[in-house]
Amino acid sequence: MRMILLIALREYAENVKTKGFWAGILLFPVILVAVFFFQTLLSQSTPTRHYLLIDQSGQYAEAVAAGIRQEQQRRIFQEFINYVVENRRDANPEQTSAGAGDQIDRMIDDAGTDEVAALDEWLASGGLEFALAMAAPYLRQNAPPFEAPREQFLSAPLPAGIDPQARPDVIVDQLRPWLSGERLLEVEGEPGPLFALILIPADVNGSIQRPGAALTPPAPGSGIQYWARNLTDTRLPAAIERSINASIRANEFAARNVDINVVREVQRTRLPMSRLDPSKAQGEEAVSVADTFRQWAPVGFVYLMFISLMQSVQYLLSNTIEEKSNRIIEVLLASVTPLELMMGKLVGIGLSGITTIAAWLGTFFLFIAFYPASEAELLAQFFQVLLSSDLIPWFVFYFLAGYALYAGIFLAIGSLCNTLKEAQSLMMPMMMVLIVPLVTMTFIAQDPNGPVARIMSWIPLFTPFTMMNRAAAQPPLIDVVGTTGMLLLSILLVLWLSGKIFRQGVLRTGQPPRIVEIIRMLRHKH
Amino acid sequence: MPENVLELNRVCKRYGSFHAVDDISFAIPAGSIYGFLGPNGAGKTTTLRMVLDILKPDSGSIQILGHTSALHVRHRIGYLPEEKGLYKKMRVWAIISYFATLKGMHRRDARTRAFELLEQYGLKDYAEARVESLSKGMGQKVQVLSAVAHRPELVILDEPFSGLDPVNQQVLEQLIRDMAAAGQTVIFSTHIMQHAERLCDRMLLIAKGRKIFDGTLDDVHAIIPRRVILGCSGDIAPLRATPGVIAASQLEAPEPGRPGASALWELQIDEHLDPQQLLQRCFEHGIALTRFEHTQPSLHDVFVHLVGSDAREHVLR
Repeated sequence: MRMILLIALREYAENVKTKGFWAGILLFPVILVAVFFFQTLLSQSTPTRHYLLIDQSGQYAEAVAAGIRQEQQRRIFQEFINYVVENRRDANPEQTSAGAGDQIDRMIDDAGTDEVAALDEWLASGGLEFALAMAAPYLRQNAPPFEAPREQFLSAPLPAGIDPQARPDVIVDQLRPWLSGERLLEVEGEPGPLFALILIPADVNGSIQRPGAALTPPAPGSGIQYWARNLTDTRLPAAIERSINASIRANEFAARNVDINVVREVQRTRLPMSRLDPSKAQGEEAVSVADTFRQWAPVGFVYLMFISLMQSVQYLLSNTIEEKSNRIIEVLLASVTPLELMMGKLVGIGLSGITTIAAWLGTFFLFIAFYPASEAELLAQFFQVLLSSDLIPWFVFYFLAGYALYAGIFLAIGSLCNTLKEAQSLMMPMMMVLIVPLVTMTFIAQDPNGPVARIMSWIPLFTPFTMMNRAAAQPPLIDVVGTTGMLLLSILLVLWLSGKIFRQGVLRTGQPPRIVEIIRMLRHKH
Repeated sequence: MPENVLELNRVCKRYGSFHAVDDISFAIPAGSIYGFLGPNGAGKTTTLRMVLDILKPDSGSIQILGHTSALHVRHRIGYLPEEKGLYKKMRVWAIISYFATLKGMHRRDARTRAFELLEQYGLKDYAEARVESLSKGMGQKVQVLSAVAHRPELVILDEPFSGLDPVNQQVLEQLIRDMAAAGQTVIFSTHIMQHAERLCDRMLLIAKGRKIFDGTLDDVHAIIPRRVILGCSGDIAPLRATPGVIAASQLEAPEPGRPGASALWELQIDEHLDPQQLLQRCFEHGIALTRFEHTQPSLHDVFVHLVGSDAREHVLR
């Protein structure tokens, strides 16, 4: 026992000193900070974009402007919702249900479920000013003032010498230097790049497509032309398309003698759907964001388990191979038994795996404590959900069990090989096996007690992952008890067998053995 | 403590049809320095691994420090394997101390002992260095120290001298003598005869897995006859007739055309004949000597004599 501890301590100390270990530990907080910090930074730092609108039809300029205004309102609305969530007096994630009384709650709820309708209502009721007045009583005392986001898209004046009534292809040719960024626009005395050109030809109405008409694919360049080099920022074209289509439809309604106001009213009629969970106590059946999160959290844990398992077993493998190729193993075996060596490694590397996970959870916690953004607040709520549920004990159990199972197998593989290259061919099948729980992860989360999930739970190699995956869905008792028993039995079996292979493998030199030899090793009696 | 720290009785080890070790028996008394000699591939390492119970013999028995398996007494044994290797990233003192703790030493004692040894054997400045920064020879010294740091009763060193420069070979010889003086038994294998000749009380010679010789240095010398080299111009017939002279052969003929030029002869004499007697015979018979040299056969000669043909055959295979 003392030997196992000594070996474990050395493995742990050496592993902790490696760069890879620290990279693993630091990667998570870096990603966390990157996601939340840079996202905010990026959204704030996106430059104001200048577009050129040439409307030769003379019908849609107002619709385009309205579309862009609406896009801006949508951003203000989203920011405002975040602001309110962040600065409310009594934030409680468990009660974001539809039943809550006041308008703020309803607005937040609507923003999450039906943004279009919520936005219409926002605009109809008077936009930001009204919302601010309405929200004021519910905000914290020391809430900072709300800062509306800047305008993102601004109309630019037409560069001198370009005739807006020329043929579309001529206009585009003339504007190419600006579109390609070679020339800059002059906007309010400042030079700036042209982001996009929206060109609406005079005969644009001829390209309107109606249902029932022969389905001919539109010729390229027909309809509205949106010219821009940036293909990823689709907010502007989407807003314009939406707005122009709305305008065309309004015209269509008018042409068919339908009152547009009636249509709007009809469109905004809706029947709310309450999502209820029968497994909760009476009166609390309403499904909140936290509940949904609780259902999906196991997927995150499966992923976490996969990553840290991979990290740990890889280290075990390369470490065993190092000892073998350096022949340190012989000195070790003159001092300790192969079983002590194996168990020492298992414990030591396992401890460093646990350290990594603990460090991750720790940074997550610290991050939440010191980063007072709305997103982090949401995370903090999720964290409370995690702590209050029994997911963490499940995770600890299945991580340790999965680790013991796979570490045994990978140690045996490591003991048979002299170089990592040799190990790779033996590792292949194991890697394929390890990928399966990752591929089925989402599927099992959606159908946690379905046949696939149940069958996979009974395969010991998948049990830790699949049962973790199902942990939030109250799997039947027989599955929990049965698979746990199977899992523990197979861990014992795997450790016993890999102990046999390890004992004989560690002193082997030369090529890795063939299957027949491995079987002979397994049947060998010491 | 038993009389013999190690006893092997008719030990065999086969790999398929290849006899790595074939019916080897020997005993090593406590407190001695024991040499394990043999050409490459003779079975030295296999024998040592069986002694340490890393490998199991196919037949025969091993008694080590009064036990049937080295595993029961592994804290009382120090082992330096043939292929040397250390954890590359660890510091020199830490690795010595780690292996000592695996041998049952207390952590703090092991640490003190590591620094003590490093100072004693000239590696003090490298105590904090990482193993990967050491030269091969230095690394090997560190490994020897890590094998003996826990003051084992029985030290087994497999090819400890290979890869060391002459200065460090001397340091290592001194270490081995120090340990023997402290009452520890040292077994080492080598194919460099000078070390064995200088250090060993007893030695075992094996070739192709079979024991060829086991005994003291004096026993070794008795195996092949002593030689006397003579330079003389006259007839050596009276010397040939002397009892105890086994054979005489001319190494060099006298230079032709030079009167009084001497020839060079080698006489083989048995252990009962005193070379002084031979000298006296020369005076009695008026043989004019230009050279008279009495040499002990070196261990090297014995080695070549005993395994020469075998070893060559081995190389050719």
